[in-house]
This record gives sequence, structure tokens and C-alpha cells, in this order.
Amino acid sequence: MIETFRLHQLLRETVQSPYRCLVTRPTGAAIRNRIEQSLETSGCVTALLDFAEVEMLDFSCADEVVAKLLLARGPGERPYFVLSGLHDGQREAVEHVLRHRQLAVAALRDAERAPAVLGCADEDARLAFESVCSDGPADDRALGARLGWAPERAARAIEDLAWLRLAQVSDGTLRPVPLP
Amino acid sequence: MTRIIEVPASFDDRSFDQFAGCFGAWPPEERLLFDARGAQWASPYGLITMLTAAQALAEARREKPLFAVPQSDEVRRYWARTGFFRHAESLFEIHGRVPKASAGPSDALLDVTPIQAMEDVHDVVGRIAEPAARILNEQLGIGVNETMRFSMALSEACQNIVEHSGTGGWVAVQAYNWRRRLGRRVVVIAVSDAGIGFRPSLEPSHAKRYGDRWDDGAALEAALIQNVSRFRDPGRGQGIASIKRSVNHWDGKISIRSGTARLSIVPGWDDDAPLAERLPFFPGAQVQITIPAREPATE
Repeated sequence: MIETFRLHQLLRETVQSPYRCLVTRPTGAAIRNRIEQSLETSGCVTALLDFAEVEMLDFSCADEVVAKLLLARGPGERPYFVLSGLHDGQREAVEHVLRHRQLAVAALRDAERAPAVLGCADEDARLAFESVCSDGPADDRALGARLGWAPERAARAIEDLAWLRLAQVSDGTLRPVPLP
Repeated sequence: MTRIIEVPASFDDRSFDQFAGCFGAWPPEERLLFDARGAQWASPYGLITMLTAAQALAEARREKPLFAVPQSDEVRRYWARTGFFRHAESLFEIHGRVPKASAGPSDALLDVTPIQAMEDVHDVVGRIAEPAARILNEQLGIGVNETMRFSMALSEACQNIVEHSGTGGWVAVQAYNWRRRLGRRVVVIAVSDAGIGFRPSLEPSHAKRYGDRWDDGAALEAALIQNVSRFRDPGRGQGIASIKRSVNHWDGKISIRSGTARLSIVPGWDDDAPLAERLPFFPGAQVQITIPAREPATE
């Protein structure tokens, strides 16, 4: 259900370099292609991109790996991507490329159990995301009740989360994606 | 007949146009002699642009230029320690005694290094990450968490050579005191290539929009101010945008020269003109990123 891709390992297999820097577009594209190949036969619901042990990530590589994996899929299309092990510098690069392309992704911080949203999600979508991650699935009425919103506002947030592929939506109910 | 290319006594981005003006029409027909005998100092920018010129001459199938080494022992030793002569030996016919490169460590963060492929970018970024973080933190007062931006800026600047120039280039990084210009310590990243330059690179996709205004200055403005790229992918052009953001954050300066123009984002501490046009032509593109210390240097 969850497939983990260790970027450090993929980097070592892709580039003959003793360093742990995820840099350059061709490197990012090569790593993305390897991930895509694995996903063809994986059937996972969540693809966890683990950046632990990667020292540095530049904007070009963040765009090639993270943004283009997200761009290749439409709303509701599996897998859902979740990032982990990002440090602040890498987070900044990912945040920048996602905002530029109007994308978003869930990211796990090591010190926290609940994931955060990186990218262009608005405040309502972020609050709705946090709510389903912490309190479980909800439809527009339940989500509205939790957050003190009208059902229409909750429905819009659910729609946004589905569009951004930050959570699963089936039969009008928002569900968190499986996380480790 | 030989044309003399006078290497400025103090050779940096400011004296570069004097150097570029010696070449005349490009590529020069005559054999060139780079006369560095009177050189007293050269910044990373000065060192790598001399190599760029020689590389461009080789690619234009011109006769290998002559190079008269600095008369000063100290300058020769320093240039040798930065790796300049190691690369110059294959591009110039060198006249004068060149010290062995192993005469001691230079204070360069990154010696003069060729960038020809993406593997070189990996190598440069990987090698410099740790010492750069230390120097930016200890000498420039830049927080440890922010030093990652430096490596990112270096990576994006070097990638541009491989992706856009159509040939190879050079990079060097150095920390030193800018006593007269700033009164503070700085780290300078210099990147130069002998490739096609910004205007020809962007021309097919962007010239029409500018009409008669399209020239080297307009091409630099499109790339540096409007973040356009020759690629249609909307995710492109973000490399320079990210460098610019980091430079603003550091209150630093970025200057890009290509063809006959130079465009800079000029901080309050510098008096450079944002746009200089109708400069002497020089092949490829030259980038300098200057990061000043946050407070007066302790050295």
C-alpha cells in the first residue's frame, strides 16, 4: 500500500558521485524515470519519497523529481505522493517549484506525526487536510461541523484537496492517504 | 601580426571591459598575445574570463594565443595555486616561468574548475558544500541554515553553462576582503562560458515579442528580470530566479554580461549601473555573484 523511494539510494544508483547532492535536471529526470518505472508495477496507494541522507536539493532537481511526478497525474489518480526527511533548505526548493507550478504535496516532518502541506494549497484546504489527518475521514457536513464552516465551504475545500491530490475522496468523503 | 591583449593590473569585473575591448572584431584574425606581465591581482572573474577567451579562440579555430605570465613571483604563485595555469597550459602557448601548482593552498573556496558536463556540476557542488558553509557562517555571518542557498545558487549557475551555452565553461569561488569597494569580506562566485550567449539562446522563442528592441540587453532583461527560458516548459527559468532571490536575501549582487551588455541587480552598497550596453563584445556569458559579510569581517 505504501512504497518508499529512498532518494539517496536512487541518486547513488544514477550518478557516479561520492556526494549526496540531488542537483541538475538530467539527474532529476533520471531519478523520476526510475520511480515511474517502479510505479508501473507497484499498485501502491502512497509513494513515499524519502529525502533523508540527501544533503542538498536544488530547484532544477526538485522540479524534475517532485513537480513532474505530480504533474503526470490527474485528480484521484494513484499513487498519492508524500515526502519525508526534508530539511529546511530542501523544503524551500520544493515549496518554490510547487508554488510556481500551482501544485501541492504532503510532507512528513520527522518530529511530527501529522504531515504538512507544501505548495500552493489555500488556507481552507490546509485546515481541511489537517482535520482529516488528525481526526479521520469526513464528508462536507462532518468537516464543516469540525471546522465551524458551512457545508458549501467544506465541500470546496474537499474539492481543492482532491484536485491537488492531497487526500482521497470517494462518495463525497475525504480520507487521508495511507501514511507510515 | 600579433594583437596584444593587455591584462589589467587589477583584473576583476570592473576592469573586464578594458580587457574585452582589446579583442576588436570577434573572432580576431591575428594571433593574440595575452600580456599579463604587469598583473598584480586577478579576481576569480578575471582568471576564468582569460580562459574563456582562449577557449573561444580554440573553438573558432584560431591560432593558439600566447600568454606572457605575470612578472611578480607572488602573483604567479597565486595564480598557480588557483589552478589557472594548469588549465591555461592547454589553451595558451605560455611564455615565462610557471610555478608548480602544489606551492601551497590558495584561499579559493573553489579553484578554477572546468564545467563541461552535468557530472562536473555534481562534483563542484559536492566538493564545495562543506567548506562553503563554514566560510559563509564564520566569515560572512550567514546562518548555517542559509548556507544551503549558496550551494543551490552555485549549482544553478553552473547548470546554465551545460544547458544553454552549447559548450563548456569555467567556475571559481573565492572569499576575500573588499577593502576599497565595500570594507567587508565577500564571497564571489564567478562563472563564465564561451558559448552562444543569452541573445542567440533566447532569440527563437522571445525576440518577436521585443521587436526592434531585441538586443543583448533585452535578452539579459528577459532572463534575469522576467525569468524566461528558451524552453517552453513553464517550470524553466527558475534557476536564475532562485539565484536572484538568494542574492536579494544576502543583500548581494548578481551581474550577468553577455555579448555587448551587462545587467546587474545592484544592492545599496554598490554604485554599478543596472544596465550597461554597447560594451565591447565578448563571447558567451559571464556571471558574478557577490555575497557580502553581514557585519564587518573579523579578520
